[in-house]
Amino acid sequence: MFVGKRLLQLIPVVFGVVTITFFFTHVAIANPCAAWTKARTQAAIDQCKATFGLDQPLPNQYVNYLSNLLTGNWLTSPSGLPVLPQILNALPETVELVLAALLIMIVLGIPLGVVAANGAGRWPDHVVRTFYLSGWATPTYLAALVGALAIGPALNLPYKYAFSTQTPPFPQITHFSILDALLAGNLPAAGDAVLHLVLPATALAFLNMGIATRMTRGSMLEVLPLDYVKTARIKGLSETWVLYKHALRNSLISTATVLGVTAGGLLSGTVVIESIFQWPGIGRYAYNAITNYDFAGTIGVVIFFAVGVVVSNLVADVMYGVLDPRVEWR
Amino acid sequence: MAVAEGRRAPGSAGVLSGPMGVRRTLRSLRPGLRGFVRVMRANPLTLLGFAMVVVIVVLALLITILPIVGQALLGRPLSILPYDPAYYPSPCPGPIVNNVTVCSLPPSAQHFLGTDNLGRDMFSRVLAALPLDLAIGFSITLFALLVGGSLGLVAGYWDRPGTIGGVFSVMILRLADVFLAFPSLVLALAIAATLGRDLGPSLLAILFTWWPYYVRLVRGEVLVVKQQPYIVAAKAAGVSDVRIVLRHVIRNIIEPVLVYFTLDVGTVIVTFSTISFIGVGVKLGVLEWGNMVEGYQTYLTSYPWMVLSAGAAIFLTVLAFGLLGDGLRDVLDPRSRRALAQTAVPTTLPIAAVPAEA
Amino acid sequence: MAAPVLEVKNLSVDYVVGAGTFHALSEVSFEIEPGRVLGIVGETGSGKSTLAHSIPRLLPEPPAKIRSGEILFRGIDTLKLEKWQLPRIRGTGVSMVFQEPLNSLNPAYRIFDQIAESVRIRQLRETGKMPGILPAGEPFDYSKRDPPKASDVLTKPLVPSLPSKRLRTIIKADESMRREVLEYLRLVRINDPETILTLYPHELSGGMRQRIMIAIALSGRPSLLIADEPTSALDITIQAQVLTLMKELMSEVRTSILFISHDLGVIAEMADDVGVMYAGHLVEFGPLEDVYENPRHPYTKALLRAVPNRYKTDGSLPSLRGTVPNLSRIPSGCPFHPRCPLAKPVCSKDPGPALLPAEGSRIRGHLAACYFSKDVEALP
Repeated sequence: MFVGKRLLQLIPVVFGVVTITFFFTHVAIANPCAAWTKARTQAAIDQCKATFGLDQPLPNQYVNYLSNLLTGNWLTSPSGLPVLPQILNALPETVELVLAALLIMIVLGIPLGVVAANGAGRWPDHVVRTFYLSGWATPTYLAALVGALAIGPALNLPYKYAFSTQTPPFPQITHFSILDALLAGNLPAAGDAVLHLVLPATALAFLNMGIATRMTRGSMLEVLPLDYVKTARIKGLSETWVLYKHALRNSLISTATVLGVTAGGLLSGTVVIESIFQWPGIGRYAYNAITNYDFAGTIGVVIFFAVGVVVSNLVADVMYGVLDPRVEWR
Repeated sequence: MAVAEGRRAPGSAGVLSGPMGVRRTLRSLRPGLRGFVRVMRANPLTLLGFAMVVVIVVLALLITILPIVGQALLGRPLSILPYDPAYYPSPCPGPIVNNVTVCSLPPSAQHFLGTDNLGRDMFSRVLAALPLDLAIGFSITLFALLVGGSLGLVAGYWDRPGTIGGVFSVMILRLADVFLAFPSLVLALAIAATLGRDLGPSLLAILFTWWPYYVRLVRGEVLVVKQQPYIVAAKAAGVSDVRIVLRHVIRNIIEPVLVYFTLDVGTVIVTFSTISFIGVGVKLGVLEWGNMVEGYQTYLTSYPWMVLSAGAAIFLTVLAFGLLGDGLRDVLDPRSRRALAQTAVPTTLPIAAVPAEA
Repeated sequence: MAAPVLEVKNLSVDYVVGAGTFHALSEVSFEIEPGRVLGIVGETGSGKSTLAHSIPRLLPEPPAKIRSGEILFRGIDTLKLEKWQLPRIRGTGVSMVFQEPLNSLNPAYRIFDQIAESVRIRQLRETGKMPGILPAGEPFDYSKRDPPKASDVLTKPLVPSLPSKRLRTIIKADESMRREVLEYLRLVRINDPETILTLYPHELSGGMRQRIMIAIALSGRPSLLIADEPTSALDITIQAQVLTLMKELMSEVRTSILFISHDLGVIAEMADDVGVMYAGHLVEFGPLEDVYENPRHPYTKALLRAVPNRYKTDGSLPSLRGTVPNLSRIPSGCPFHPRCPLAKPVCSKDPGPALLPAEGSRIRGHLAACYFSKDVEALP
């Protein structure tokens, strides 16, 4: 019920996103055909314009595009490949990358936040703060470049593609590379996929570590002086148990919410990270579409990004409700 | 503790006093200054961040102003840069390896950060890019604050449904929602790519994606402040809405906004350099850090100092704003300030101020 | 007579905050004998709460700093314990009920889990599976037998086990646990305990939550229960109910209690002995009746006089001149001398008067920190 209502709100957002992207691309670049065809002759350009419907007046193009979109025809890229299947194939790879990064952020970032809050104002706090601010201050491309060109070779970790072979030796059913390998019963390939995930996911997580850590630290600082933490202590519970079961449990309510909202930021990061690590996800697809003036591809992938952001916000709200018993579902 | 009492005590200043504004503002700065000193003392990292920001801003000003001043006073440009960032010796004096002259020299006493593939001094090049990057960071954040902030103020304060303000505020929020649904970098990239590779279009591209965050931030703060007794009292006393917003609301949302602003300058610098790196930002050859990393990336493994010095410049600049903003947040942001105050002082204050007659 | 459950000797606690140093407690000494209820009374800011929190070492350090003194709980100096040893004296040793029932239960867990946790800790300690001081045991009465020797527990763990393993055992809830938790809910007179078990704290009223808190504290069967203004945050009618409950429990569960309150009437209702605090100093200490009827410190006298009395209808309430001193600038000598009607030059000289057997009282154990305690009687 709640989820359904929220998903309904998705419709105007997606509509707005499509409209904005459509007009930006079509108004700003009047003649993309010159770039696409690399042809010099007017005839070739006219031919191209006719093929992509660019000779129509703009409002007509817009209406045409919308009606196509609604019927499931997301048009084709200038290269002739249909947009939707390409994005759908790439999407799971990005989801996999983002989930892996989130996992690292949760497993590493949250305990760091607890450590910082527990030592607030003293050296553990300073160390943790410097660490996560370093992640935040490092440009994505720099982390990715250094990871791909320096750290990867040094640690002998793969830093290109999702697999050692560009086309994996088993059917890609779900396009989640690890899951596919497991489905095929190919354990070495699954291990290979995990190894390929390490560098890009770590880079993505490092850059966004601050979000999990800072939020955990902040909400822990709010929770720690509360009486129920004293209650937990006076029961005779060990400090670890007090911190992680009683205090952190309540801090997680806000941390989880922020992490959900953050997924949008992680998606942004995938554009650069996937391009540099040549990860076959929608981030790299978006990069290529944008830099090649591929209108259909750009709009299509932006729709997916927007849906991703809205859905992750929704997941954050659901998490909030799950974690906080005081929330009443409406 | 004095920090907690110091700045955010508008109710105590008297809701209705008007003409003494200037003097009162000056007076209200004094506890602010004391608070500032305490913030800096409390956390060495905040002090470090503040010092770094000061150094960065002073350097940027010197680099911009000195040549102009020198030209005007001495007839020749002055500069703190050791070399002309564009100058390369031809032929360059580097060692010859496999019949090829290696112009890129590692860091040394002559060239602190080494030289690039054409023999240009990296230290000078990195510093020469500082004013532009800093100006980009400040200008976009300021514009976003002005545009998004005022929209957020309006949407937060005049939000009663059924009124013109209410309708307007719903429209603003819906529009902001749409923009917030884009991952900002993707939208900025798309816009920058379509508008063409130049400084103006790429600034515009980031600005387009940046203002909605301020709508959300300012609106949220206004909604909280609006409920405060001193605002309610001012309303009851018949003070006009515009006056309430200008005198009381703005003054009381300024601190969390300031914290966000400080951190955001850093975020903008990183984002802009990313757009440049991808090749849709400033024109080729313009001294901008992201642009430099892009240009030098092929040499990352052979002559790492080229990419790393440009990267380090971004890193240090952004880190400075991060350390400062994150430290300020602990003190100025009401949420975390409350938390810290609670850790600092037990629930029953050890200060006995209750008169026995009570 | 059995050894005291708690001996506090010359305890001084400061708060070092940015603006200065606040002396929250100065040279406080007293003891609690097994099975007795000690009431501590004083105004806001007199250091009562600091005292209560310092015994199980719940003070936030920093900003709190224990300057000097000893807190001997069942012979163990809690001030000398390492941080990791502290949990071992809590729960089954010292337990506490806090002032603010709305915040003292964890909003994320059901009532059952919160009580079961403390029951489980006690059970694990009773069976030797988890290190810690042993509970008082049935029938909670130390006047009948000596407390178990506790100091060994702190030095060598009974069973050296990893914390995580210990934690897992706590989670396990079975039928016997349910019965035991229900028993404690009934003990604090909760109707329909079966339903309450499954609720979250936010679904209960303040009075109910305070009952649950009392149940949690008692379920560890502590040798010492500290009640820090347990009724101050409640509505007046609920206050009466909770006080009545605590009074009844005291006769059932004969544990030693340290009862903190700013309300002389509440203390009169609950305590066997009473200590009066002023500006971080314990100024008078003794059996309740004697202190109330025959106060030997001018401050106690003034405090008692300020209580509205329904038999006195003539005119205004008496008040004390001056204000409570700022804890960063406590007057030299006796902290009360600037406001004291009996003050002489000697009163401002350091060190101030010690807590000594009060002149003019024949009751053993009635102590007062005043040079002129025999003159107090003459005061209006």
